[in-house]
Amino acid sequence: MAGGDEFYIGYQRQAPAGLSRFQRWTVAALLLAAAVVAVALAALQSDFDPGVFEFGVVRDFAGVVHERPHPLLLVDRPGHNLPEPSRFLLVAAGKHGADGEVAGLDGRRVRLRGTLIHRQGQTMVEVVAGSVEPTGDATARPAAGAVDLGVQTLRGEIVDSKCYLGVMKPGRGKPHRACATLCIRGGIPPVLRVETGSGEYRHFLLTDEAGGVINHRLLDLIAVPVEIAGRVLRTGDLLVLEIDPTTIRRLDAAAGSS
Amino acid sequence: MAGQLGERTVSHAYQAVGWNRQKRVYDLTLLAGVVGYLALFVGVGAMLSPRATVETLIIRAFGTAALLLLHVVLSIGPLARLDRRFLPLLYNRRHLGVALFVLGLVHGGFSILQFHALGVVNPLLSVLTSNGSWSELAGLPFQPLGLAALAILFLMAATSHDFWLANLTPPVWKGLHMLVYVAYGLLVLHVGLGVLQAETHALLAGLLALGFAWIVAIHLIAGRRERAADRELQGAVAEDGFVEACRVGDIAEKRARIVCLSGERIAIFRYDGKISAVSNVCQHQNGPLGEGRIIDGCITCPWHGFQYDPADGASPPPFTESVPTFRVRLDGDRVLVHPHPQRPGTRVDPAALQEES
Repeated sequence: MAGGDEFYIGYQRQAPAGLSRFQRWTVAALLLAAAVVAVALAALQSDFDPGVFEFGVVRDFAGVVHERPHPLLLVDRPGHNLPEPSRFLLVAAGKHGADGEVAGLDGRRVRLRGTLIHRQGQTMVEVVAGSVEPTGDATARPAAGAVDLGVQTLRGEIVDSKCYLGVMKPGRGKPHRACATLCIRGGIPPVLRVETGSGEYRHFLLTDEAGGVINHRLLDLIAVPVEIAGRVLRTGDLLVLEIDPTTIRRLDAAAGSS
Repeated sequence: MAGQLGERTVSHAYQAVGWNRQKRVYDLTLLAGVVGYLALFVGVGAMLSPRATVETLIIRAFGTAALLLLHVVLSIGPLARLDRRFLPLLYNRRHLGVALFVLGLVHGGFSILQFHALGVVNPLLSVLTSNGSWSELAGLPFQPLGLAALAILFLMAATSHDFWLANLTPPVWKGLHMLVYVAYGLLVLHVGLGVLQAETHALLAGLLALGFAWIVAIHLIAGRRERAADRELQGAVAEDGFVEACRVGDIAEKRARIVCLSGERIAIFRYDGKISAVSNVCQHQNGPLGEGRIIDGCITCPWHGFQYDPADGASPPPFTESVPTFRVRLDGDRVLVHPHPQRPGTRVDPAALQEES
């Protein structure tokens, strides 16, 4: 066996000179290797998604609540006299939808407090529990009807809108599948993320063909590549894809066995 | 006194931690290395990706630090078999194991909090049941693999003290700690089926494969050397059953020559004009006594310094470990050993060397 004749046990006060020198070089090489690995691994991570979650920042919001299919807050655009308000998806803290927070307030103007989550023109508010207060008016201004963009076949990935819009990075893909499944089980609005080329994405809120909630029918189809055909509706700045969940086609290796 | 070097204990004394200078230097270096790694990963990650979230960087920093440290832990044993100058790293290897568990615990705890808590399912149940798709390799759930590895690392860290080694008995303790290889396999799968399904840069998979290949290669090389050493001695057998093992000149003073007789490794020591033979296997952690040396009149294991009297194979009082001894005699400068082991602790008269002229 290599290593010379020097002998040292850790409880001895001093190692022989040759062994001591070898240890110093070995430890220095190990620390250098660890530093190289740390830098390499940190640098090799893929680019993080652009969403923002203003964690710890609570703001005041006012607008009109829509309960279905998922809670929405229609907020007048400040400084503009546009017919269409902004649509902010509402969710509760953790992996829960905000249905309980806005129950019975459909069409009512409210004030609420919450934290902004936003990504590429899509905005969501994590509502502070119990902060939603009706402010009187039964309905402030009816929202414009949806524009039918026809039946389209889209390919993409079903994600939970809360994590995807900025709470988690990455908020998609297999490592995040468990979280996305819990979120969608808990009532977070599911969206289809579709790449439109050159790194741009569009997001479609998923409902059934009657505009109803389909969260529990999507649980086996989250965070895998899928192809979905359905009617696309645009309501203001929100795209909705009305689908029959039984027609969703998986595009990954499990497609044949699912 | 045999059994101690200065005031350092060298056998089971059940102190919480017998701190000494080497352990302090070892642990401070380890701490600096771990903190430096974490700071570099998080710092470089945040600098190159300003949009990164700190929790993701923390989860990844601790996870990769744990995996890197596991490679170091698994490398020390074979490297020390190939070159004894690596042995001082082995002396406190269990400290690396405890640090490894802590890193894994932070990674796992933070991941459970992030991905599995605050939902409609119990977080631990979610770890075990979510993300499951058993019908295809890439879809296999990776979280339970990480949790199982963490459980093994916990068992190893919790039983790393010599108190547990003695109370569980060395074979059980050794078997338990060999589970580190199971933990390593689980973690390679955890990474391969988990984050590498999303982080698809070829170098990342390449680094994991390189690490795996390194661990397998050094174990195979060290194992091959061991097998060569285990080749049965083919020396001449005398009428009384003694087997010619080597020549006196083959053994350096206060050192040993290891031979394999009847399937057992025997360490033949030369010291103070005498020759004695004992089992090569230390009672502490199966260290190779024949690669140790005589210090203060005692055979001293090169791994952790456990000591045995070469004549009777017993640790000096108050310690109680003992190893089997072997009868030995000289025929000129030929050393002959009887392959039948004596009960551990049995005194065997050393063979006396003739005065050198």
